[in-house]
Amino acid sequence: MNPEEELQQDVAALRRGVDLQLWRRLWSFTKPYRRNVRLLAVFALGTALSDTGLPWVTKLVVDDLTQPDVARPLWLYALLYGVLVLTLSGSVLGFITAGSRVRTGVVHDIRQAGFANLQALSFSYFDRRPVGWLMARMTSDCERLSNILAWGVLDMVWGGTVMTSVTVVMFVVDWRLALTILGVTPVLALVSRVFQRRILASSRRVREQNSKLTAAYNEGIMGLRTTKAFVREDESATEFGALAGAMREVSVRNALQSAVYLPLVLTLGSLAAALVLGVGGGRVLAGVIPLGTLVLFLSFSRLFFEPIQELARLFAEMQMAQASAERVLGLVEAVPEVQDGPEVRARLAAHAGRPLPDGVAPDGLPDRIGEMRFEGVGFTYAGGQRVLHGLDLTVQPGETVALVGATGGGKSTILSLLCRFYEPTEGRILFDGVDYRERSLAWLQQNLGIVLQTPQLFSGTVAENIRYGKLDATDAEVHAAARLVGAEDFVLALEDGYDTQVGEGGGRLSTGQKQLVSFARAVLKAPRILVMDEATSSIDTETEQRIQAGVERVLSGRTSFVIAHRLSTIRRADRILVIDHGAIVESGTHAELMARRGAYHSLYTQQSLREGASYSTVIS
Amino acid sequence: MNAHRSPHEGHDQQTLWGLSAGQRARYLAALAAMAAGIALSFGVPLVTRAAIDGPLASLPRAPLAPPYATELWPAPAPGLLELALERRTFLQEVGARLGLDAGGQLWLAGALLLALAGASGLCFYLRGRLAALASEGLVRRLRQAVHDHLNHLPTPWLDAADTGDLVQRCTSDVETVRTFLATQVIEIGRAALLVGLVTPVIFHLDFELACVALALLPVLVTSAFLFFRHIKALFQRMDEAEGRMTTVLQENLTAIRVVRAFGRQEHEREKFAAANAEFRDHHVRFIRLLGRFWSSSDVLTMSQLGLVLVVGAWRVREGALSLGTLAAFLEYEALIIWPVRQLGRVLAEAGKAVVSMRRLREVLDVAEESDLEGAATAALPALRGALEVRDLGFGFAGGAAALDGISFRLDPGQTLALIGPPGAGKTTLVQLLLRLYDYERGSIRLDGHELRELPRRFVRRHFGVVLQEPFLYSRSVRANLVLGMPDVTEETLCESTRAAAVHEAILEFPGGYETEIGERGVTLSGGQRQRIALARALLKDPPILVLDDALSAVDTETESRILEALAARRGTRTTIIVAHRLSSVLHADLTLVLERGRIVQAGHHADLIRAEGPYRRLWEIQGALEAEIERDLQTAAEPGGRA
Repeated sequence: MNPEEELQQDVAALRRGVDLQLWRRLWSFTKPYRRNVRLLAVFALGTALSDTGLPWVTKLVVDDLTQPDVARPLWLYALLYGVLVLTLSGSVLGFITAGSRVRTGVVHDIRQAGFANLQALSFSYFDRRPVGWLMARMTSDCERLSNILAWGVLDMVWGGTVMTSVTVVMFVVDWRLALTILGVTPVLALVSRVFQRRILASSRRVREQNSKLTAAYNEGIMGLRTTKAFVREDESATEFGALAGAMREVSVRNALQSAVYLPLVLTLGSLAAALVLGVGGGRVLAGVIPLGTLVLFLSFSRLFFEPIQELARLFAEMQMAQASAERVLGLVEAVPEVQDGPEVRARLAAHAGRPLPDGVAPDGLPDRIGEMRFEGVGFTYAGGQRVLHGLDLTVQPGETVALVGATGGGKSTILSLLCRFYEPTEGRILFDGVDYRERSLAWLQQNLGIVLQTPQLFSGTVAENIRYGKLDATDAEVHAAARLVGAEDFVLALEDGYDTQVGEGGGRLSTGQKQLVSFARAVLKAPRILVMDEATSSIDTETEQRIQAGVERVLSGRTSFVIAHRLSTIRRADRILVIDHGAIVESGTHAELMARRGAYHSLYTQQSLREGASYSTVIS
Repeated sequence: MNAHRSPHEGHDQQTLWGLSAGQRARYLAALAAMAAGIALSFGVPLVTRAAIDGPLASLPRAPLAPPYATELWPAPAPGLLELALERRTFLQEVGARLGLDAGGQLWLAGALLLALAGASGLCFYLRGRLAALASEGLVRRLRQAVHDHLNHLPTPWLDAADTGDLVQRCTSDVETVRTFLATQVIEIGRAALLVGLVTPVIFHLDFELACVALALLPVLVTSAFLFFRHIKALFQRMDEAEGRMTTVLQENLTAIRVVRAFGRQEHEREKFAAANAEFRDHHVRFIRLLGRFWSSSDVLTMSQLGLVLVVGAWRVREGALSLGTLAAFLEYEALIIWPVRQLGRVLAEAGKAVVSMRRLREVLDVAEESDLEGAATAALPALRGALEVRDLGFGFAGGAAALDGISFRLDPGQTLALIGPPGAGKTTLVQLLLRLYDYERGSIRLDGHELRELPRRFVRRHFGVVLQEPFLYSRSVRANLVLGMPDVTEETLCESTRAAAVHEAILEFPGGYETEIGERGVTLSGGQRQRIALARALLKDPPILVLDDALSAVDTETESRILEALAARRGTRTTIIVAHRLSSVLHADLTLVLERGRIVQAGHHADLIRAEGPYRRLWEIQGALEAEIERDLQTAAEPGGRA
C-alpha cells in the first residue's frame, strides 16, 4: 500500500459519515480508564457550566447598575465571580489531569497490543508491509486516535453542555432572542463543517508532501557520493525544487482555507450579535427585558459559537482518522497465519505450570530433534508466485547441509520453511516423524540459531547483544562465545570493550564486526539447529578464516543448514543440495556430485577455473 | 523559476534576511492588513458602547433611567475618537440625521457591527493570505538553499557528520523556522498591535479603569514565558523517551527474524513495555504540568476580566463612568487578553526558532566544494585514463596518515587491483581519484594533467564508480540506470544490464524496468543492488571504471560472468578493482597490496605469489582450498577417464 493511496483513503473518509461501529471498537480501549473518563466528563461539565455562568454575573452587574432599586453590595458579585472562576480553573485542572491518564493510557495500550501482535504475526504479514509503514501505524496513528478518544470526550461533553445550558438559559430568559441566535447557528454549523473538512484534507496533503521532502533530504545525504560521482547535483536541485514548490502549493492552500474560515466565522458571529442588538434593543426600549439581558445575549452569541466550531472540527477529525483507525485495528487484530493450532495449545496448557520431566518439551512431546524430513514440500506466496515444489529431503541429526545455486532459486525459502517463518503450502515437514505443525512454535524457535545475511543488532552494549542468544548467560559465557567466533580481538579493541555501546541497529560497528557479534550471539544460544544465510560475505579473507575455524567447532554435533556463495567454504558439508527454480536438482556429497558432472560440477569448475588457472602456474 | 542557486553564490544570501528578499513587501502588507483589521475590530466595542449609552439610555423610562448623567462625561476629546466619544453618542447623531428613532438606531448599530466584522474579516483574510505566501515562499527558498548546499558540501565533512542529525536539521529545524515565520511573527505582531492600539483608547475612555485593565497583563505574559521556558527541559525528556520507544520498535521490526529465530518475543515485549510505559509516564507528567499552567493562567485571565467588571461597576455606581464605557472596557479586555495570554508561550516558542536557525547556519556556513567547474574545461581533450600517482599522501583531520607514499603507473586500458585489510586505505585512494577528497602530498596525474588542477566535475565525468553498498534512488529501475546517460537507447541499456548480469533479474520484477525501488516498490538483495549499480556505471561508459568491492554480495557464478564481460573492456578502458577475494584480481595488470596506508607489495599476480608477503599468505589461505579443489577435479575426472 503506497502513501498516495493512503492519502486518497484518508481524504475519501471525509465524505463518508462517522463510522460508529469502528469508534465503538476503539472505545473499548478506554475500558481500563473508565473512572478517569467519568471524571473527565464531570469536569468538562463543570467547565461548561462555569463558562455559561460567567456572562450571567455580568448580566447581574449590569441589571444592578441600570435598576436603582436593586443595589446589592459589589463584593457579592466579586465573590460570585470568584467562585465561578475557581470552579472553572479547578475544572480545567481536573479534566486535564483525568484526561492525561486516558490520553496516554489508551495510546500505551493500543501500542502494546499492536506490538504484542506484531511479535506473533507471520512473515507473510511483514512481506507486504514495509517497516516504515508499520512504524507510522504504531506511532503517529496511535497518538492521533487516542487524542481523539480522550479529548473528543471532553469536546463532546463540554460542547454539548455549553450548547444545552446556553439554550436553556436563553429560552428561559427570552425565547424570542434565543430564536434569533439559534437562527444563525445552522449557517455556522454548515460553514464550519465544510471548512473543517477541507482544512483537514489539505493538512493531510501537507503531511504527505512533507514526508516526501524528508525522504528527498535523506536520499540526498545518503546518496551524495553517487550524486557527485555522476555529476548530477543540478538535476537533483531541479527535482528537489519541484518537491519544494509542491510543498509550498499545498501549504499555502492549507493556510488560505484557515484564512477564509476564521473571518467568516467571526462575521457570522457578528451577524448574530447585530440581530441580537436590533431585536433585543427594541425589546429593551419597550421595557420587556432589562439591559443586562441584552448584554447577556451578546455574550451568548459568542459563547454559543465556540462549541459548534469545536464539534465540527472533532467530527471532521474523526472521519479523517477512520482510515488510519482501520489500519491500526487491522494491525492489532490481525490473526497470525503461522501459530500453534488448538491441539498444540491444549497440550501446552496441560503442561503449563508444572515442572517438565526430563526430555519432555512444553508441548508434551519429546524434547529432542532427531531426523528432519521434508515430504513433497512446496511453497507458493500469497501473490501466487510458486517458489518451491516437490521438495523431498531427509536430514540426520548432526548433518551439515549446504544449499547452493543461483540467487532466487529458493534457497532462502527452504530455510524460512525450516524455521517455520512460513509453513509449506504443499506437503509437510516432519521432525522425528511428527509434522512440525503439531509442535509448539516457541519450542521449535528456541532450538534454532540463525545468522542472517545482513546482521541485525540492537541498541545496547556488545555484551548485551551477544547475551541476546542466552539471556541468563554469565560474562564468562559471553566472552567465551566471542572468543570462539574470533570476535574478542576487535571487541577488546573498542573503547569500552564488551561494554561499548553499538548504537542504533549496531550502526557504530562495521558490517564485518556486526557479523561477528551476530555469530557469537548464535553460538551462545547453543542451538540444536544452526541456520546460516550467506553469513560470511563482505568479511575479508583473514577474518573469514577466523570465523570458519570457530564455526567448525560449533557445527560439530549440531544439525546445520548453510547458504553460501563461495563453494569452497561449504564443500566440507556432509551434503550439498543444488537448488534451482524451486527444486533440488542435485544432492550428495562433494565427491559424489563432482563425479556426476552435473550442475554442481559446472558451478564448481567455473569457480575453479578462475582460481585454479593461475594456481597451476604456481605449481608448475 | 527554478530556484537552483549556483554554488558560488555568496553565503550572505542564506541568512533569513537574505532569503526574505522578495517576500518583505508581502510581510509588510500582511502587517498593514492586520493593523487595519485590528483597528476595524476596535470599532465594535465603541458601537456597543454607543448603543448602550445612546439609544438604550436615552429613553426616559423610570426603572432604566441612568443615574449617570451625561454631564459626568469629560469634555469631548479632539481627534481620532471624537465621533465615538461625544456626549450624544454618534449613533444618536447619525440616527437623528437619518431620521431614525431609538429602535432604528439600534439596528443601525447592528448593521455597523456586521460591517465592521466583515471589513475586519476581509483584512484578516488578506493578512492570512499574504503571510502564508510570504512565509511559505521564504521557507521554500530556505529548503532549496539547504538542499543545494548539502549537494555541494565536501565529502570529508559529510563523512564526519551524523546523517540522522543532518536530516533532522533539514526537516524539523526548518519546520521550527517555518512555524516561527508563519504564525509566531504574526502572533507577536498581533499582540503588540493590539496592546499598542488598545492602550491609548482605553486610557482615553477612563484612566483609572485602564490602569486596572492592564494590571495583570505583565504578570500573565511573564509567567507564561517563564513556564514555557521551564517546560522545555521536561518536553525534551519526553521527546527522548519517545525516541527510545521508537528505537525499540524500529529495531524490533527490522530484526524481526532475529527475534523469532531466538524465540525472544517475550523479552522484546518486556523491553517495549518498559520503553512504552516510560514514555507514557513522561507524557502524563507533561500534560499535567500543562494542565496546571492552563488552569492557573485561567485564574489570572478571568481575574483580570472580573477586576474590570467589579471595579468598573463600582465606578459606574460612583457615577464616574458610563455603563456603555464599562461594556466597551469588558469587550476590549476580552479582545486583548487572549492574544496576550498566548504571547508568553509564543515568545518562549520563538526562542526555539533562534536555536533552529543557528543549527541550520552551522550547516550553511560550511564552505562548499570549490573548483567544481573550471573555465578551461572546454579546452581539455577527453581523457583516456592514464594514471600516474607519485608519492601520494593523505590524512584525515586529526588522524594518522590514511595514505602515505603511494606511487604507481597505469596505462589507459589497464586494470589495477587494490587489496588489503579493512582500513588499509583502498577506498580512500578511490575517493582521492574522484576528487571527493583532496590529497595533501605528492601528485596524481590523469593523462598527464595534475588532478587537483582539473575541475572536480570534469574529473568525475570520466569515472564510473560502483560502491560496495551502492546507493540507488527510490525511483524506477530504469531511472536509476539512466542516471549517467539520460538519452540512451533501449539496446544500449539492455547491453549494460546484460553485462552486469542483471537483465533477467530485472525482467522478473513485477514491473520490469519500470519497477519502483525502495519502500514503495521492490526490496532488492545486496547482490541485485550491486549489479544494478554496475550496469549504471557501465552505461555511462567512462574511461575509468572503479569497482570498490562492488561484487562482494554477488554469487560466484554471476561474478565470473560479470568479470568476463568486463574483460571485453580491457585495452580500451581503465579499470580499478578493490577486492577482498583474490579471485577477482587475478587478471589485473597491476596489483597493489595496501596495509595501513602504504603499499607493501606491488606487481602482477604471478610475481606476487612468488615473493614472501601478505599476498602470498592470502593466496595460501585460499590456495589450500584450491589445492583440494584441484584434487577433487582430478578425482572427478578419473572415473570418467577423461578430463
